[in-house]
Amino acid sequence: MNYETVIGLEVHVELKTNSKIFCSCRNGHTQDANENVCPACCGMPGLLPVFNRRVVELGMTAGMMLGCDITRRTTFDKKSYYYPDLPCAYQITQWFAPICRNGGVEIETKSGKKFIRLKQIHMEEDAGKLIHDDWTDTTMVDFNRTSVPLIEIVSLPDLRSADEVLAYLERLRTLLRFAKVSECRMETGTMRCDVNLSVRPEGSDTLGVRTEMKNMNSLSAIARAIEYETARHIDAIERGTETLVQETRRWDDVKGQSFAMRNKETAADYRYFPDPNLVPVVIDDAWYESVRATLPELPEEKAARYVSDLGLTEADAGVLTASRNLCDIFEAAYPQCSSPKDVAAWIIGDCMGLAGKKQVTADDVPVSPDKLAAIVNMVEKKEITRGAAKRVLAAVWEKDADPRAFVEENGLKAQSDEGAIREIVTRVVASNEKIVADYKAGKTKAMQALFGLVMKELRGNGDPAVIRSLLEEALS
Amino acid sequence: MDRTALASALELNQLRLTESETEAVLAFFADMAKDEPALLIKELDEIEPMIHVVDLVNVLREDEASQPFTREELQKGAPEASDGCWQVPRLLE
Amino acid sequence: MDAYITKLDGAVAVDDTILTTGCPTTAGSRMLENFTSLFEATAVTKMKAAGYTLAGKTAVGEFGLDTLGETCFFDAPLGAAAKIVSEGEVMAALNVDLNGAPRRAAALYGVTFIKPTYGTVSRVGVVPCACSGEQIGVTAKSAKEAASLLAAIAGHDPGDGTSFSAGKYEYALDIPLAGKRVGIIRELMTGENTGKVETMAAKLRALGAEVTDISLPEVSLAKTAWQVLLAAETCNNLSRYDGVKFGYRTEEYKNIEELYVGSRSESMGLLAKAVILYGSDVLSKGRYDDCYDRALRARRRVREALAGAFGEADILLSPACLKAAYTKEELKPLLSVYEESVYTAFASVTGVPAVISGGVQMVSDTLNDALLLSAAAQTEV
Repeated sequence: MNYETVIGLEVHVELKTNSKIFCSCRNGHTQDANENVCPACCGMPGLLPVFNRRVVELGMTAGMMLGCDITRRTTFDKKSYYYPDLPCAYQITQWFAPICRNGGVEIETKSGKKFIRLKQIHMEEDAGKLIHDDWTDTTMVDFNRTSVPLIEIVSLPDLRSADEVLAYLERLRTLLRFAKVSECRMETGTMRCDVNLSVRPEGSDTLGVRTEMKNMNSLSAIARAIEYETARHIDAIERGTETLVQETRRWDDVKGQSFAMRNKETAADYRYFPDPNLVPVVIDDAWYESVRATLPELPEEKAARYVSDLGLTEADAGVLTASRNLCDIFEAAYPQCSSPKDVAAWIIGDCMGLAGKKQVTADDVPVSPDKLAAIVNMVEKKEITRGAAKRVLAAVWEKDADPRAFVEENGLKAQSDEGAIREIVTRVVASNEKIVADYKAGKTKAMQALFGLVMKELRGNGDPAVIRSLLEEALS
Repeated sequence: MDRTALASALELNQLRLTESETEAVLAFFADMAKDEPALLIKELDEIEPMIHVVDLVNVLREDEASQPFTREELQKGAPEASDGCWQVPRLLE
Repeated sequence: MDAYITKLDGAVAVDDTILTTGCPTTAGSRMLENFTSLFEATAVTKMKAAGYTLAGKTAVGEFGLDTLGETCFFDAPLGAAAKIVSEGEVMAALNVDLNGAPRRAAALYGVTFIKPTYGTVSRVGVVPCACSGEQIGVTAKSAKEAASLLAAIAGHDPGDGTSFSAGKYEYALDIPLAGKRVGIIRELMTGENTGKVETMAAKLRALGAEVTDISLPEVSLAKTAWQVLLAAETCNNLSRYDGVKFGYRTEEYKNIEELYVGSRSESMGLLAKAVILYGSDVLSKGRYDDCYDRALRARRRVREALAGAFGEADILLSPACLKAAYTKEELKPLLSVYEESVYTAFASVTGVPAVISGGVQMVSDTLNDALLLSAAAQTEV
């Protein structure tokens, strides 16, 4: 009997705003617990929620990027349950009229292309964090994350494998990062994913018992969780190892198993009702259009344009458009240079090379496009050698150095003055009789040694072509 | 409202009642229930729910951060706090 | 400063469901016995800015849910704020009108109270229960002081998403009553205070108003709707009191469940619990559609009925409560407040303004607060 795995995902994405969703606390990186907290987000009475405009704009942006219908009259509701990370014992979310409905994304796996449909996207507030301390047998509560704005992207159960899930998540991440809606990083928790999974015999169209899994902290953990849970379901059905129950389970990546969660969240009646403190958000055509105007080109659209208008190869266009940051650098830099291909090569080769060494992703390459353009132009005008340019790039990366100033201060100006180089070539040839003799005896490697000595005297700034031709002339 | 519904409400709201309190609350519900049929009149079938009594929409804040109170101030009245966190008994997963 | 302030130099008492700094705000509950807020209510800040002084906090029923303050955890007289205003100890008081308690208290002590149009006074700093209808009002010896203090605390607050801006807040007391139509709500002419209504009617007639009978059967629907909505919202707003972050924590607990249940059950009274449990039930899966959702529709129906009534009358007149006097003993039953709320609920659930003067209630359409205060001022003499 062959089984089909049916998967739906609920992806929570933390929005990039300055402040929280319903209070003015900072929404940002913290060093210490409870430093971004106010009376509202730690459950004290008296303050009222006031909605952050940027949140609905990012919600609309996300919806537009994902092909959704935007709900023009969107409202907020309260969802009640008890857990210590929820200071008011309710979460403000959207139950009756979520900001977006429908939509979806096309994914590509080795089996081909497929469209994954969305059910909805809704805005809501995040909960706090709990830190369990076995030593003191207590749990510590940190409300820094409470009320951070989230969107929850709910898919329909269109996914059929871990591969499809990963492709879907990558696609969501690319689009949302492109639109600057969120950092979308599983490692920092700005993107979290709950997996709803069931199995059924191939060909059947009724759904099996569904379990929800939480606590997968990386894409690979999600893949492992899906494999495990699929097997667990099939085992239960085929061999009766256990009875499958609709429940929420916690994935333990260390043990490689899922466990039924102790808190009875699944049995809870959340008693949703409309929040009396938050009046509806009504999106008229003008507001809708103004948000639409801020949408970036889709990565594929950019790539096509880079190929057709700027002469980049598809491969290079693909690398650049995988990251909004690289696109931004490229698009700001190439108009200042004569060859877009050249600029692209510098970004894909040199910048990404540095990124690899520094263990940083494309999205975090910190090179200013103006400075990159300056470097590319200096090389093109032969003011510095390519080797020197790499050093300048590193300085721009590490210290945001000014390229021209750095070249001055470090004596990196290219030396292509034939007269000066000829003098050095003559001297080197004269003082290295042995090497010259080796070369003349047929050891071609000796040329490299002489080349190196000349270059060393020029402190790396010699024009290689000029040195080579003068050496050949001197040795002939 | 019967005892099952009451039991569910007690659990959802983290409350307990003594036996005499239970009787008093059940009687309270019974009296509330007497009024409820008035809400089911046909006249209300076609009427839209009214959540707010003010006719406002789009009450929005600009995305600006401010932190008016320190952690120490917020935790001053905490029943149990340490290392800058509020403290509860260890939760089991 | 304003010429309306009396010789008591603007000393104002503030209900203990309104946040102040420097002293606890208990909301009449053991749960908040030692809770001191980090900030004060916007209304308190505004009143101080206008030159009034905070005289102290007055006792309220637990979370303001009861008839006259009988469920206050701390020992206090019924209608504490109205009592001290009537005795001249303070010039005025700020009270949260959630289910009519300050109206009943003002009627019984023969002082003036105004529950302004919903959205007039910021709810920032109110210990929240039923956000869709609760409003800070003013108790004072007479309409003059009430109007003056209300003008000081009224105004849009960006921190309250349901507060509106009406531009200037001035409550004229000399709006002529001649030619105004007053409707005595037939369905509410019950209990021991109908005589007071007749007295007020006569005074209004003497001022040239046309006083007749009006039928408003929807007052019962309003009572039912408000008790459902109030319970549901209160259940939700009281869930934050869990013994974790502030307030009362039980002493013995082995786990988080025991901490929650112990802290909440030991520190809240029976009426609060009954309201929480009923409120939870009306929101529950099987009951939401037939209870909570219907109550929201009933609210609109009542609002429409009031609009109709205001087409026939500028002011609606009625008793504010059933009896002429109360003792704590007779208010012991849990349902006491619900015996009374038919008089007050129709203004609570719709947000229209209500004034108490001469021991009776006058209600008008939204933003007609000045008309009500004028009626009160001109019938006081």
